[in-house]
Amino acid sequence: MDFFEEQERARSRTGWLIVLFSLAVCGTVMAVYAAMKLALQYAFDRPLFEQFWNGDLFWRVAANTVALIAAVSFFKIRALSASADSVVLGLGGRLIDPSTSDPHQRRLLNVVEEMAIASGAPVPAVYLLPDEPGINALAVGLDASRSAIAVTDGCLKLLTRDELQGVVAHEFSHLLNGDSRINLRLLGLVHGILVIGLIGSKLLRSLGRSSDSGSRRKVNLGGLGSIVFVGVALYLIGSIGVFFTRLIKAAICRQRELLADASGVQFTRNAAGLVGALKKIGRLDRGSRLVAPGAEEASHFYFSEGITHFTALMSTHPPLEQRIHLLDPSFQGELPRGQLQPVAVEEEIPGVAAAVQSERSFPVHPRAVIASVGALGDEHIAYAQSLVARIPERLRDSIREPSVARAVVLGLLLDRNPQTRAAQLSALLAIGDPQLADQVSSASGALRDCPAEARLPILNLALPALRRLSAAQYGELQAAVDRLVRADSRIGLFEYTLQRVLSRHLGAHFKPKLPDAGTSPQIQVVDAVSVLLSMLAYAGAAAPADAARAFEAARAELSPGRFRTTLLPREKCDLRVLDGALDRLADTAPRLRGEILGACAAAVATDGAVTIAEGELLRAIADSLGCPMPPLLPGQHVRAAGERRALG
Amino acid sequence: MANVILLGFGGAVCLVLVLLLVWGLTGYNKLVRQRNQVDAAWAQIDVQLKRRYDLIPNLVETAKGYLKHERQTLEAVIVARNQASTAAQRAAATPGDATAMRELAGAETTLGGALGRMFALAEAYPDLKSNTTMNQLSEELSSTENKVAFARQAYNDAVMAYNTGREIFPASIIAGATGFAEAQLWEIERAVEREAVKVSFA
Repeated sequence: MDFFEEQERARSRTGWLIVLFSLAVCGTVMAVYAAMKLALQYAFDRPLFEQFWNGDLFWRVAANTVALIAAVSFFKIRALSASADSVVLGLGGRLIDPSTSDPHQRRLLNVVEEMAIASGAPVPAVYLLPDEPGINALAVGLDASRSAIAVTDGCLKLLTRDELQGVVAHEFSHLLNGDSRINLRLLGLVHGILVIGLIGSKLLRSLGRSSDSGSRRKVNLGGLGSIVFVGVALYLIGSIGVFFTRLIKAAICRQRELLADASGVQFTRNAAGLVGALKKIGRLDRGSRLVAPGAEEASHFYFSEGITHFTALMSTHPPLEQRIHLLDPSFQGELPRGQLQPVAVEEEIPGVAAAVQSERSFPVHPRAVIASVGALGDEHIAYAQSLVARIPERLRDSIREPSVARAVVLGLLLDRNPQTRAAQLSALLAIGDPQLADQVSSASGALRDCPAEARLPILNLALPALRRLSAAQYGELQAAVDRLVRADSRIGLFEYTLQRVLSRHLGAHFKPKLPDAGTSPQIQVVDAVSVLLSMLAYAGAAAPADAARAFEAARAELSPGRFRTTLLPREKCDLRVLDGALDRLADTAPRLRGEILGACAAAVATDGAVTIAEGELLRAIADSLGCPMPPLLPGQHVRAAGERRALG
Repeated sequence: MANVILLGFGGAVCLVLVLLLVWGLTGYNKLVRQRNQVDAAWAQIDVQLKRRYDLIPNLVETAKGYLKHERQTLEAVIVARNQASTAAQRAAATPGDATAMRELAGAETTLGGALGRMFALAEAYPDLKSNTTMNQLSEELSSTENKVAFARQAYNDAVMAYNTGREIFPASIIAGATGFAEAQLWEIERAVEREAVKVSFA
């Protein structure tokens, strides 16, 4: 499964979705026209089908209907973009308190955090649907930095850790493959058509009320009749429209579920967990059904069928038996029904505490980097667990607290050099919060016991807590980060990486942009690639000749003749330019981004080794390009020769 | 043709009405979101307050062995702690409720004062000052104080955004009709706050 191919497919699926949806809208427009025309004929006592076509009337009806659907869909999608979590909140979800001591919730948070560190995606917000006894889960998200995972109470309590991990891996695959974003748009579009039906029913109801109020004026019976007719017609049309959009929704979703199952198994290398979870759903009396009133609207988000359908065509998920059979061919298709006992949860022992040999540099090959994007394996999860295990327990627990997370982020920036460090601390004191400097130095004390390769994962672990800052507090944090970075009047690789990760994953949260409000700077793709590769070439090079060599190696990775990239002079490589370049490149086609990422890896790897800081920068770039990249594994040997398998 | 024009006009009016409705609904959703943010911000404070109320009895228990002649001060701390704990429970039931918030702020001020007096007394007992348990507890208490202060700032920001949000048109109409009450800030007098945080033994 190639991440970039999946992204391309997700894009073409969006196109397909728009075509199907436009067809549904056309049908709706024609139906509304027919209803209007019939109502008019009826009101003016004409034969029903005389002069049925009236172009003028048709265009008016079409314009109004389309404008209505478009406006409602737009508002709905905008509301969803402002906060993807609203879907979960609408289902009765509660944010799990990150510092919870409930063992079941602790376990869920740990599983999600491990998966996030292993995949290189930021830790999503984790919600619980406390009133849902069935086993189900859902992932919503617009992009990597605004995503949430929610599980039902049944899922939390009835599944073992392996099974829970399987479910979470399945949901992560939806997030990584961009399914959740399409699902959100789908929800908005369906809502637009739904509104027509709502207007119909409102019209009928208001009519009922006004006739109840006993107005004794003579009512034009023909007029009243036609209003009733329009109301009924709108209601029916709305229902028909919703029926069709549900068919679309179901058809698009079903195959994605199988893909997510497969990726889930690939992530954990353990089909037994996912199979176990699916079997438990089959054995549970209430299965995966949800009880929340709004459950239908979000049916395409779930891990397993959330509502009962009267026809398989409307199912958003393939049959349970089929899913189990695909993962476990020996399955005979018998699931005895009954009650399930909650699983006892032992104290979570963080990770496999096995000592992973810590190497200072990792050999890397561009192809391997491309292949690893969005496709983590069990070795990554094991590595993530061992990394987490080596973070001191006190730090790991307290980082879920916003004030501590803030101090830790600032502590990560403190320099080892005592002079710079003193300058940084006095810069912090100048902010005017006397406790901040204390908190930061104590956080930095705790960080000293952490391995260097844990820096980025620690930052990732801090993200959920940082999302709970107020906007003003986030502004203060940004200012403080800026002061620390500028204290030594030069910006190191890690400093840049940290700022990039923060602004990418928190900036979107605190200042949500509209989905397609393109504010990216006007810079040519070619120039953006040149800037990016030149920066990387200089970053890892000791001498100018090395930089040129690294740049050449990077250029060799791009498909020939596509770009005329040039190594820019060093003084032109400004970090602000790099920010603009990355923003521009994030908008390009997935396959191109894959190629660029490969070139970046080549630029970093020419000197034969990738330092931790270079690896982190590479991952931050991948992240900026919307390609979550798992951590580089210590001792990950990838031969360059003989493995030039073509991409796509 | 007149009927067609009439219908087109009617359609346009209908469209405008629907757009107004959608606009109103968006405003309503925004209010709900901001209200949720206030609740979430309160939950952050609540967790820390509870932790603090759990710490204080342990602290007093440890200090008791040394401060034998200061029973009154210690009892005052416990009484203030119980009152604050009750007030916090009431405030958690309806975050932002003006009376509950003022009550809590008052109880917290009293508790801060009582704790401050206890720590001032403890200065005179070198044995107590070198007690490891006491040091650990007071260290934890002061770090919890910091977290409360930080969470309170976030809460006040959320309340401010929500209160502003419910005064802006069109949300102001909806807020009045659907019972979005004004939320209360948690303000603390600066002097008292400084006293309450000063629990370090170093």
